Amino acid sequence: MGPLSRDAWAQRLGAFRASPSAFMAGPEGEDLGRDLLGDLRSEKLSEQTKVSLLALSLEYPAQLWPDVSAAEVAATSLLDTLVLLPPRPSALRRPLLLAATTALAAGGALGPTSGASCRLLPLLLGLAAGSDLGRGFVPASEQRPLQATACECLRELESCKPGLLGGSLGLLRGLLGQEGPVQPISLLLALALRNTLVLQSRVGAGLGGLLTDKVSPTGGGPWDWTLVEEGDGRLQPQAPSWPAAEEGEGERSLTAREHSPEEARELRAVVIQLLDTSYLLTPVAQAQLLWLLGWALRGLQGQPPALFKPQLVRLLGTAQLTLLHAVLALKAAFGEALFTAQDEALLLRRLTLAAQHPALPPPTHLFYLHCLLSFPENWPLGPEGEEAAPLLLGPQLCRGLLPSLLHDPMALLARLHLLCLLCAEDEEEEKGQLPSPRHYLEELLAGLRQRAALDEGPRALATVCFQASYLVTRCLAGQPTVLTPLIHGLAQLYRVRPMLASHFVDFLDQVDSELRDPLKVVLRQEVVSRPGRDEALCWHLKMLAKVADGDAQSATLNFLQAAAAHCTNWDLQQGLLRVCRALLRAGVRGGLVDLLQVLARQLEDPDGRDHARLYYILLAHLAGPKLGVALGPSLAPPALASSLVAENQGFVAALMVQEAPALVRLSVGSHGVKGPLPVLKLQPEALEPIYSLELRFRVEGQLYAPLEAVHVPCLCPGRPARPLLLPLQPRCPAPARLDVHALYTTSTGLTCHAHLPPLFVNFADLFLPFPKPPGGAGLGFFEELWDSCLPEGAESRVWCPLGPQGLEGLVSHHLEPFVVVAQPPTSYYVAIHLPPNSKLLLRLEAALADGVPVALRTDDWAVLPLAGDYLRGLAAAL
Amino acid sequence: MAQRAVWLISHEPGTPLCGTVRFSRRYPTVEKRARVFNGASYVPIPEDGPFLKALLFELRLLDDDKDFVESRDSCSRINKTSIYGLLIGGEELWPVVAFLKNDIIYACVPLVEQTLSPRPPLISVSGVSQGFEFLFGIQDFLYSGQKNDSELNTKLSQLPDLLLQACPFGTLLDANLKNSLDNTNFASVTQPQKQPAWKTGTYKGKPQVSISITEKVKSMQYDKQGIADTWQVVGTVTCKCDLEGIMPNVTISLNLPTNGSPLQDILVHPCVTSLDSAILTSSSIDAMDDSAFSGPYKFPLTPPLESFNLCYYTSQVPVPPILGFYQLKEEEVQLRITINLKLHESVKNNFEFCEAHIPFYNRGPITHLEYKTSFGQLEVFREKSLLIWIIGQKFPKSMEISLSGTVTFGAKSHEKQPFDPICIGETAYLKVM
Repeated sequence: MGPLSRDAWAQRLGAFRASPSAFMAGPEGEDLGRDLLGDLRSEKLSEQTKVSLLALSLEYPAQLWPDVSAAEVAATSLLDTLVLLPPRPSALRRPLLLAATTALAAGGALGPTSGASCRLLPLLLGLAAGSDLGRGFVPASEQRPLQATACECLRELESCKPGLLGGSLGLLRGLLGQEGPVQPISLLLALALRNTLVLQSRVGAGLGGLLTDKVSPTGGGPWDWTLVEEGDGRLQPQAPSWPAAEEGEGERSLTAREHSPEEARELRAVVIQLLDTSYLLTPVAQAQLLWLLGWALRGLQGQPPALFKPQLVRLLGTAQLTLLHAVLALKAAFGEALFTAQDEALLLRRLTLAAQHPALPPPTHLFYLHCLLSFPENWPLGPEGEEAAPLLLGPQLCRGLLPSLLHDPMALLARLHLLCLLCAEDEEEEKGQLPSPRHYLEELLAGLRQRAALDEGPRALATVCFQASYLVTRCLAGQPTVLTPLIHGLAQLYRVRPMLASHFVDFLDQVDSELRDPLKVVLRQEVVSRPGRDEALCWHLKMLAKVADGDAQSATLNFLQAAAAHCTNWDLQQGLLRVCRALLRAGVRGGLVDLLQVLARQLEDPDGRDHARLYYILLAHLAGPKLGVALGPSLAPPALASSLVAENQGFVAALMVQEAPALVRLSVGSHGVKGPLPVLKLQPEALEPIYSLELRFRVEGQLYAPLEAVHVPCLCPGRPARPLLLPLQPRCPAPARLDVHALYTTSTGLTCHAHLPPLFVNFADLFLPFPKPPGGAGLGFFEELWDSCLPEGAESRVWCPLGPQGLEGLVSHHLEPFVVVAQPPTSYYVAIHLPPNSKLLLRLEAALADGVPVALRTDDWAVLPLAGDYLRGLAAAL
Repeated sequence: MAQRAVWLISHEPGTPLCGTVRFSRRYPTVEKRARVFNGASYVPIPEDGPFLKALLFELRLLDDDKDFVESRDSCSRINKTSIYGLLIGGEELWPVVAFLKNDIIYACVPLVEQTLSPRPPLISVSGVSQGFEFLFGIQDFLYSGQKNDSELNTKLSQLPDLLLQACPFGTLLDANLKNSLDNTNFASVTQPQKQPAWKTGTYKGKPQVSISITEKVKSMQYDKQGIADTWQVVGTVTCKCDLEGIMPNVTISLNLPTNGSPLQDILVHPCVTSLDSAILTSSSIDAMDDSAFSGPYKFPLTPPLESFNLCYYTSQVPVPPILGFYQLKEEEVQLRITINLKLHESVKNNFEFCEAHIPFYNRGPITHLEYKTSFGQLEVFREKSLLIWIIGQKFPKSMEISLSGTVTFGAKSHEKQPFDPICIGETAYLKVM
């Protein structure tokens, strides 16, 4: 594609700016960065259009060249374009330098291995030093502006890679003394100096000759990549962790470092040089210089903060926001070392003055007010980080900072905060001054409420009234002389303008119970004392849903009954039901049952009737705690913004069974062999108190008949539970796996369902003894059984290894109940009944030291491998 | 100390979006630092569309003030500075410095050089004051001598180039954008040694210094026992020094007239090199006594090229220049008003213009008016419920004029009539200008 025309580019840039993400996702997005670089060299486009292209690249390099390599390519291309410019004045040189710097710094390509970086840095330093770059590279008329621009570019690179210019300090210092733009060089030197001081201290090194050497001692040019690496790529904040700077990491490392007397002297000379010429800088640049130097010198030995003193008087006289702010930063950095108590008082006076000076704009007033309340005092009394009125800021100074109804909301709140702080202090001091701040505060709040009560007043008036009330309750909690009139004033406001119910509800949610509880009571009284049809009914219902509780039930119910007749539309009905719901939650039962029944019949809207019926059913069927949970805040996050849906989800969550992690553990105990069926003995154990536990079992593979559920009324952790007996009805004599589910109620009333780990029924768990034959007939009985197995059954011989306890131990431990004939310790005949109707017969005879041969017969082929495994595993199982 | 982005938004109530982004500028290198400094609490700068919406919502400039919205109206969301947190895509962009002036919203986001959670105190964020200064600078540039919309548009179109000079990387170099404009225009002028950064060239020609003093009187007269009337003068001294040389030294000295009240609350221009401590401490905060510093007020300075405000001050005058009396009586459907104005003899009876505005709030449009005036004409703005009494360039010989009459109002239609939360019932004011 050939170069675009000016108009085409204008259109394209417009489309991009409207929504960069949408443009980049579109068909033209991919080519934009490449086209832009290409067309910068086009001869058809005017310089103005090219500047607009470069302006775009200054703002959106991340979109145009999204990765490091693309940024590197772009920077290279921009530098090439710069070099190729004809040697006449051009408006493109400055933006090209800025664009190349931005591309490298923002794209993350800046580094010792980047080719573009290695071209750009010497170029910038050469320009900054005003040296001749040859070949008419810079037309004479452009030299000065380019010198300034190069300094700015270097400053930006140093900001992004602290320490980069550590090796150029001497050079920069030399430039400051020479002819050259003062401001860019001053700022660049201050920044490089600050970064070097911080980084060198981190590695415990001094400044060395950095301030005096014109050429870097490390060699390899003035670029100090080693220092950058020591900085670990960490950026240097301007004012590390102010105001709690004492604990800051930067602070510790700064104090830990010492400079040789010579270094200290050089450093001081540089700082004085910078400060002396600071007057030549624009106010905003002066402020930057002070921030940089102030925090760089903080805690440095041999660098008295008094260096800054000559500047202060001049700065204190101005109204410039940045300058006063910088003075405050110096105050925070040096405290008493730079500001005596008198200085502190003067600074406070100037701030107080600036916070109300009619010649300054309101945003400035507000910021100065903030500065007053966060003032870095020499000896702060209050807790760190909280807004407080400085000690030296007496009531006299604050007189002009009192809030009035004529102020706009932000000014009013800021000044009100100050007033509250004064009131809080006032309590401790004796009274006597007139009018007292507290009296003033009360009048102000009354005025605010009066304004909020205005019929057509915008919502903002109400908002500021409640914000003010909230601020007062926060600052003056525990002062009944303030809170009591506040409560009554608010109740009165509600009486006049119930449509502010939403604000009241929000207010009740935010304040502490100290205010909330009494306010609830008076608001409830306000509402229920005026039953009947009222335009404000919907607000009353909203209010009541918040403030209704177990107290004053009959008045509330009377109000609701009276209101029900007027609740003709869906909205009002829902409001009414919400109050009912609140009462249900509060545990009100008596009169509510009647009301709900009436509503379930009477309400016009079917949805309303359904809801009333639902509440009635819930009330009739659920016990108190369960009801509380059912009506509590929804457990499931609402999927839709509708309150009804959310409510229903709440019910669903509370009334339906919840899937939950298992709060109960089961283990299989020793099995008993009494009775006609094998019985599994289970030992339950609860992790939390649970109630109405029902355990359900399912046999995998239908090997046994379905199992009955087991019920346990209550399980508590730490309290031993009785074992549970689970009778098994095998359909074939085989081990099986049982799936276990638990259903239980938690102490909060929720019903939960949990899947427990499976239980295993072993082959031996199925063993039952044959009924004992009459005395002495054991052998004959056994032989009869033995013979009956063949020919249908199977016979086998198995080697059963013996442990150290020998045959006798093995039998007594595992087979005792099934032994029919015993001749200890050499021979045992064992008969096992395997339900439903199989048998397993064992002859254990002629034991050797390490095992016993077992002859076995069974009438069921399938049992044979199981029996074999069982016998072989016996010794190990002991 | 840098800005991540800056916006100018025109507030257009009644349109679907209620505003348009007129100008925006982002600083990607600062943004990169913000990502590192803020760490996990980093919130990127949004595109213009979402930013516009969130800002207008936060500033209550959308037309949907009707309903209670917790994220805006909750009593615990207390904002005491012009610095906001904007909810954008579930994350909060903070700090956003923003204010509305002349239907333009000025906004920027300063870089915070640490993590944002917990939020550092604003006072420790150096970029905040810089952000304000930046926005004030743009505001000054847009509105200095601006007469109409097309001039505003021209100036807006100059902004990108100007910011390339005044704030190329997000760190503000000069809040006075006019200097940058001159810089671009006179780039070829070779500047001599040690030129102040705030002085873009040198003056050649006849040396002259012009000084003008503007005073505004703010007076509240209650005509009520127990409440003292108040009045305060706010003065501005504007200078233009046309002097040759790079750094000419000038001392401007202000003297009070005989029996003049002392100047207080003096704020000076940064070009003033030193200040007497008596000037620094003279303040209206203190109770007035005879020991107050009464001048001469000396300001040694090195002037910039352009016209500048040397200082602002306040002062107490012994009597208000115009003594007013305004009575308002509600008589069933109409209001009876009586106004007397008296010019003090010490004031020169010669004005560019003089008129009294008599607004009526919280009422319907004016439907009927009967009046009698001893001097001047009365203009009636029925729909705005406003009367303007045009006094002209001079008071009559007697120095006293009066207006009386009755005003009847129609039914209130909620949207159109002016609302005021203070002027309810018989509370009203009259403004002389």
